[in-house]
Amino acid sequence: MTFERRDTTVTRVPPRVRSYAVLKREDAVVLAPQARRLALQFGLGAKRSAEIAIVVSELATNIAKHGIRGEITLILDDDAPPRGEMTVIARDIGPPIRDLEMATTDGYDDRGPIDPSLLLSRGGLGTGLGAVLRLSDRFEYHELEEGKEIRARFFR
Amino acid sequence: MSEDNPQVTVTSERLQRVIQALSFASVDEFEQCLNLLQESEEQDEFRELETAFTIFVQELAEAKQRETRARLRAEAANRELEAKLETIEMQQAAIRELSTPIIEVWTGVLCLPVVGVVDSQRSAEMTETLLETIVAKQARTAIVDITGIDVMDTKTADHFIKMARAVRLLGAECVISGINPGIAQTLTHIGVDLTGVRTMRNLRDALQFHLRETEQLASHVKKEHF
Repeated sequence: MTFERRDTTVTRVPPRVRSYAVLKREDAVVLAPQARRLALQFGLGAKRSAEIAIVVSELATNIAKHGIRGEITLILDDDAPPRGEMTVIARDIGPPIRDLEMATTDGYDDRGPIDPSLLLSRGGLGTGLGAVLRLSDRFEYHELEEGKEIRARFFR
Repeated sequence: MSEDNPQVTVTSERLQRVIQALSFASVDEFEQCLNLLQESEEQDEFRELETAFTIFVQELAEAKQRETRARLRAEAANRELEAKLETIEMQQAAIRELSTPIIEVWTGVLCLPVVGVVDSQRSAEMTETLLETIVAKQARTAIVDITGIDVMDTKTADHFIKMARAVRLLGAECVISGINPGIAQTLTHIGVDLTGVRTMRNLRDALQFHLRETEQLASHVKKEHF
């Protein structure tokens, strides 16, 4: 008896993946508009695209500030359910975040509240991760074998 | 024995010529080397050796030439790469400068046009630079124009209003111009206290407002004098 094999799976378009190394603060300035362009092309609205640019800018700035070496990866997945999704991944080989909830609280880092008088000299407001959390549809944090990654997902 | 293994007789002068030719080749003087190798007119077996040397030296000369060309090309490519790297460095410096361009549009009037993407760090840097420049230039008015910004995180927007307050603490007036509907909604949504923060529709209105104020001030001073 022979079975006729029929391919019933729908051909899935592989997601487009782009990675960019982040070393300096300037990389964030160049990357953010690039992410916005890609988001617009992907069919996300002007406002969402601008929000993605902010998220990329915050994450890239964080890498340049804390991470020893890192990269930003943009994934454009047309076939992610339900209607496609854009993911921003920030990876770096810096130490893990000790307390994620605290780190995403405005004015806090992963150790506790940031002294307001030190905020400016530390070069930030301490609201970066909070902004990523607020502006994305899904926020994920994973510890890697070497380093960590933050995933911000945006549904189309 | 001589039948099986014939001898070749060579004058010492010819031998010396070959030796000299090879020593020329060793210092890359290929032309002189080849001239020497081709000098003898005898057609004997030694002549074959000289021909073999000639071919060898010709090939060596060609290989050398190829190598030199390749090296020059590599050097040129390297120089080009270095020039490109320098350009990138320069552009990065320019980006840094442009992230907070503060222009003194009038005596005592500073203008900070904000374009591009504003994240928390950039907004912190802007505050620092603006406050420092106000003190350094003894400015009376600072106009922060955010026409170029369509979206801001709530906390960053909140910080912008705080920046305006900090300017007032320094004894200067801060005008925020060009707030777009989206950011206006963000600001009211998070319930920022907007008292004491002057906003204008656009940069032109902000400048006009400032000029009227200074005119009034000037006429006031005149009246007091006379």
